[in-house]
Amino acid sequence: MSEPSPPADPEDPDDAIAVALSDYLDGALPAEARAEVERKIAGDPAWQRAHAELTRTRQVLSGLRKAPAPSSFVDGVAETIHRRSAGRFFARRALGDRVPFGVLLAIAVAGFAVIAYVLWSSPTGSLKVDRDGAAPHGSAAIAPP
Amino acid sequence: MSELERTLLRRLRDRDERAFRELIESHRDRVYNLTYRMLGSRSEAEDIAQEVFITVFKTIETFREESKFSTWLYRVTVNHCKNRIKYLARRHDRERDELDETSHETNGAAGAPLRHVPPDRALEGAQLEQLLQDAIAKLDDDHRVVVVLRDVEDLSIEEICEITGLPDGTVKSRLHRARLALRKRLQRHV
Repeated sequence: MSEPSPPADPEDPDDAIAVALSDYLDGALPAEARAEVERKIAGDPAWQRAHAELTRTRQVLSGLRKAPAPSSFVDGVAETIHRRSAGRFFARRALGDRVPFGVLLAIAVAGFAVIAYVLWSSPTGSLKVDRDGAAPHGSAAIAPP
Repeated sequence: MSELERTLLRRLRDRDERAFRELIESHRDRVYNLTYRMLGSRSEAEDIAQEVFITVFKTIETFREESKFSTWLYRVTVNHCKNRIKYLARRHDRERDELDETSHETNGAAGAPLRHVPPDRALEGAQLEQLLQDAIAKLDDDHRVVVVLRDVEDLSIEEICEITGLPDGTVKSRLHRARLALRKRLQRHV
């Protein structure tokens, strides 16, 4: 399993170099300290070596390929939530959330068409046009006084 | 925080399933990559990434919008990874106690020893990646977190402080130690 990372030992020149270089590579040093580190990298083989190794280590770390989540991941999470909550976790959705709007519109248009047809074909349907000017069926029974 | 993100959060609090799916779609790779680099095993990473999103859904009410949502998500992810690393360490210790050390071969990536690779040999591609992943797995969890967030995920020191709740100096010192350890482990190979 994991083990404690060795502490940076300020007495160990190698560790002291690594600490300074780590700050240097993070851009965390003030201008004066930065210039000092650059002087050491330019003139001291131990600093040069440590700088090259640390730079390379950071390069390979940042160059690690991004591991994409499996394609089934979203469904997996949703299924787990549904299972653990017995389907109660997510809010109940309105009909409009579950059925596409186009389908709802087609159903509504078809419904209106059926109602219109029923009214039209009915002998008492209010949509029927009275071309002869005759009184609607049943209205003649009421005679004026 | 953008208006789009606020709207998404409002829908999440209303437990809108489509909002949850949108959230997972947009953050799944980032969360999975972090869990994978922290744990070193794809199956462990998938399990923990799932648990991260389930925790987010269950605790979305506690997100106060004082930080970026991604920072909060990273914090939840890091906490889950650290718990998992501790659990795996305990399990590994139990197994080691139970089994004869001479016949015991670890197969958990987090506890796997560095593979034997001839020194001074230029490594490429998958081999280097595996070596690096093994070296990361050898770091203790506090150091692993900061080096993965900084050098793999490319987050700033400030963001790492927010995610871990650690002061700037502690993050930097852990980062130094982690890089030093990695450099010592990899110096013959990179």
